[in-house]
Amino acid sequence: MRFTKLRWLAAISAVIVALACAGAQAGTPRYGGTLHVRLRAASVSLDPREWTPGSLSSAASEKLASLVYDRLVTLDDYAKFRPALATEWSHDATSRSWQFKLRSGVRFSDGSLFTPADAVTSLQATLGKGFEVTGAENGVAIRAAHPAPDLLEQLASGRNFVFRRQSDGTLLGTGPFYLAEPVAAAPSEVNPTAIKPAKLKFQANEGAWSGRPFVDFVEVILGEPPLRQLLDLQVGKADIAEIAPDLVRKGRQEGLRIWSSAPQTLVALRFDDAFAAPASDQLREALWLTLDRETMANVLLQREAQPADSLLPQWLSGYAFLFESPMNLQHARELRAGFPAGAPGAAQPLRLRVDAPGDLFKLMGERVAVNARQANLLVQVALPVGGGNSPAPAVGLHLFAWHYDSLSPYAELGAFVKDLLNVGDLPANTADPEQLFEQERRLLEERRILPLVLLPEYAGVRANVHNWNASPWGDWRLADVWLDSEDAMTPKAPAGPQKNSSAARNPGARP
Amino acid sequence: MQYFGKTCRKIFSTHIVFPRVLIPIAVLAAGCCFSMPAVADSDVALRETAQRLAERVAAIPGMHGALRLEWHPDAKWSEGENNRWQEILRGEFEKRSVGLTEDAGAPALDVFAAETPTQVVLTAKTRVSERDEVRIVAVALALLPPGSLPVAAVRLERQMIYESPDRILDASSLGNGAEGGLALLLYRNFEILASRVDSRGVMKQSVSLNPASFKPSRDPRAEMTLRGGSVSVLLAGKACEFSWEAPAEVKCRAEKPAAGDKSAWRGATLLTSPCDGSSWKLLNSGSDPNTREVLQVVPDGALRESSAAVLSEFPGPILGTNGEQNPSSALVVAQNLGTGNYEIYKITLACGN
Repeated sequence: MRFTKLRWLAAISAVIVALACAGAQAGTPRYGGTLHVRLRAASVSLDPREWTPGSLSSAASEKLASLVYDRLVTLDDYAKFRPALATEWSHDATSRSWQFKLRSGVRFSDGSLFTPADAVTSLQATLGKGFEVTGAENGVAIRAAHPAPDLLEQLASGRNFVFRRQSDGTLLGTGPFYLAEPVAAAPSEVNPTAIKPAKLKFQANEGAWSGRPFVDFVEVILGEPPLRQLLDLQVGKADIAEIAPDLVRKGRQEGLRIWSSAPQTLVALRFDDAFAAPASDQLREALWLTLDRETMANVLLQREAQPADSLLPQWLSGYAFLFESPMNLQHARELRAGFPAGAPGAAQPLRLRVDAPGDLFKLMGERVAVNARQANLLVQVALPVGGGNSPAPAVGLHLFAWHYDSLSPYAELGAFVKDLLNVGDLPANTADPEQLFEQERRLLEERRILPLVLLPEYAGVRANVHNWNASPWGDWRLADVWLDSEDAMTPKAPAGPQKNSSAARNPGARP
Repeated sequence: MQYFGKTCRKIFSTHIVFPRVLIPIAVLAAGCCFSMPAVADSDVALRETAQRLAERVAAIPGMHGALRLEWHPDAKWSEGENNRWQEILRGEFEKRSVGLTEDAGAPALDVFAAETPTQVVLTAKTRVSERDEVRIVAVALALLPPGSLPVAAVRLERQMIYESPDRILDASSLGNGAEGGLALLLYRNFEILASRVDSRGVMKQSVSLNPASFKPSRDPRAEMTLRGGSVSVLLAGKACEFSWEAPAEVKCRAEKPAAGDKSAWRGATLLTSPCDGSSWKLLNSGSDPNTREVLQVVPDGALRESSAAVLSEFPGPILGTNGEQNPSSALVVAQNLGTGNYEIYKITLACGN
């Protein structure tokens, strides 16, 4: 009996000690360890100048670029712009002329000093033609061709990172990590028909001006199939992994900690230029009326997506709720009845190509075809083009995924107009949301782009990952993350300046 | 830096004659200003935005008769914030002769408010002559006053005494005398500053603790100990000393992490009950930066989750606690997840309810 009591006491004491340790561990950041990350994208580029606006691959690239590079300013979760490489800024009354004072003493990951010339070169390349970036003694001036009241939003997002191009073409950054080991995708040694995914290893930048990150390394594996990513999380091979929307429910059922962002990706249909003419107005309108977005979001995507009625999401524009896309099969059939014989969608099918990668988007394409058929519209999902010399069959419709890159609704809508529709630029930015709304309304009423659903970004985060504080717009902020002690090495706080040896590592940031 | 003396000074400066009978009221008002955010000045942006929307709505052609205002605030907003917006909007509509009525049969004027990452977007929608009329205005979120602080049901006396957009690492009282005030450790723009503010929240002195060899840290833990005019500051991997009288002479040295449980960091803050002299310990984790945290005050020696705990919810993670000269009081530093600001609360253990 006495022995049992002692055992109970010992057990309770152990629980108390464990709880106390857990409490201490939860609150005190630890340095060290390797953070294992899995991304769906098969390839990334750490050169922001190469990114295609709105593409899913550029979204993954931006995530990794934020490990390596810094921006002039950042936006916190409380709508406040925070100094990063710029410590102060001001603009004139027209918001065309902006001055930024740069932080002094900042060094690139190879130890070389960051200068205004670096900011000028990189921002001139990323901001594009409408901006003229010039250097000053300790700052940069940005002059916009038109008023740019949203310049801070633009600088705090998208590809507007600051970097230095080296003579070998690689880019250097001042960020919390640098690329230590790029390993390209290659055939597996075990099974030569299988492709071993690409792997990137980022190492902590001891001299980062913003402070050394907590983890020593971030190891990123690209292009693993969604189910494999989920499995890696479950068995502890991955600490953070993107989760495909159709696997979110499964992940939740299996007890994974799942983070989601505000909707980051628009899935939509786009008519080819050949169908932009007024002669095709009825076809575009009829197809728009057949689309059952609710079913796509709630059944196909298991309530992990939202039906989309607008180009910009509500969280970015604040007015998206004003747009509606009512399904009206009766009216669609009436329009279809008026099609001339031989018109696409009537006698001959309208060919739909799925431009976004993955089975999920193919399923959505097939759902569009099913919806259209209910109004006697013929839509055929085009098969992927194989090898050989035969030309790709013409298509009239594309299903695409558009990732929102910018925190500026004006810049984002401008990218739709310029990069997706190729119809020039938006009128000058007046910072008036009513004008932006009118421009978006006009674009939607043309029915050249038919929004389908909005997808948030999902990530599974293991319990050993602390201080996970990703932004609603998808910035993962991995430099602030720290790992439990079993994953971390001896705690080591940064103490005293350390010299970075450029010869001792490959500081280049281009995989 | 937002401090709470600003509004008081403006109000009092307009009163040249100040009758003695008003002195107690003035003292109460001063206390109020010290503990409550000053919203009058920052309401300007809110009012100006409502005014712009009202002007645009008033200019809609063909609009006749009174409208029924239907208010659709952002889902994240508190009731206090909703009421404040609605009240100001009503006032601005009425000023511009947009008649409002409670009559359910009147045409609706729907006003929506939505937060984006940088703005509040206000949208007014009404139907005029079978046509939807939409008017939209926006205001930078950073210009608006912070949302009203949720009031927690607490059994501790709690008063917010200071707030700052800069990260507050530690706070300590500078005595209970008439001068009073706070000593603060702030993390501003990757620099650690020791600052003194007076009892009205006005910054009196700031001392940079970044020597030439300083390396910024993502773990900006810091604690201060005051001994008369001298200040000792413990940072991650470093310890510094200086005096307020000679702020240029900051002496810092590397500090190795202590082994085992011999941590140099401050232990749990203890309060003494004014009723029976018993000791109570403040417990918090600060582990999740994204959630409001409940401070637990438990009898010293009891475990976390003790049934005897006194609880107080803060509007975000608790980042630090520090005892005061009064043994039944302590300072709590927390981040407000609604505003992003850092706030200092004075908590006092009181007898009974």
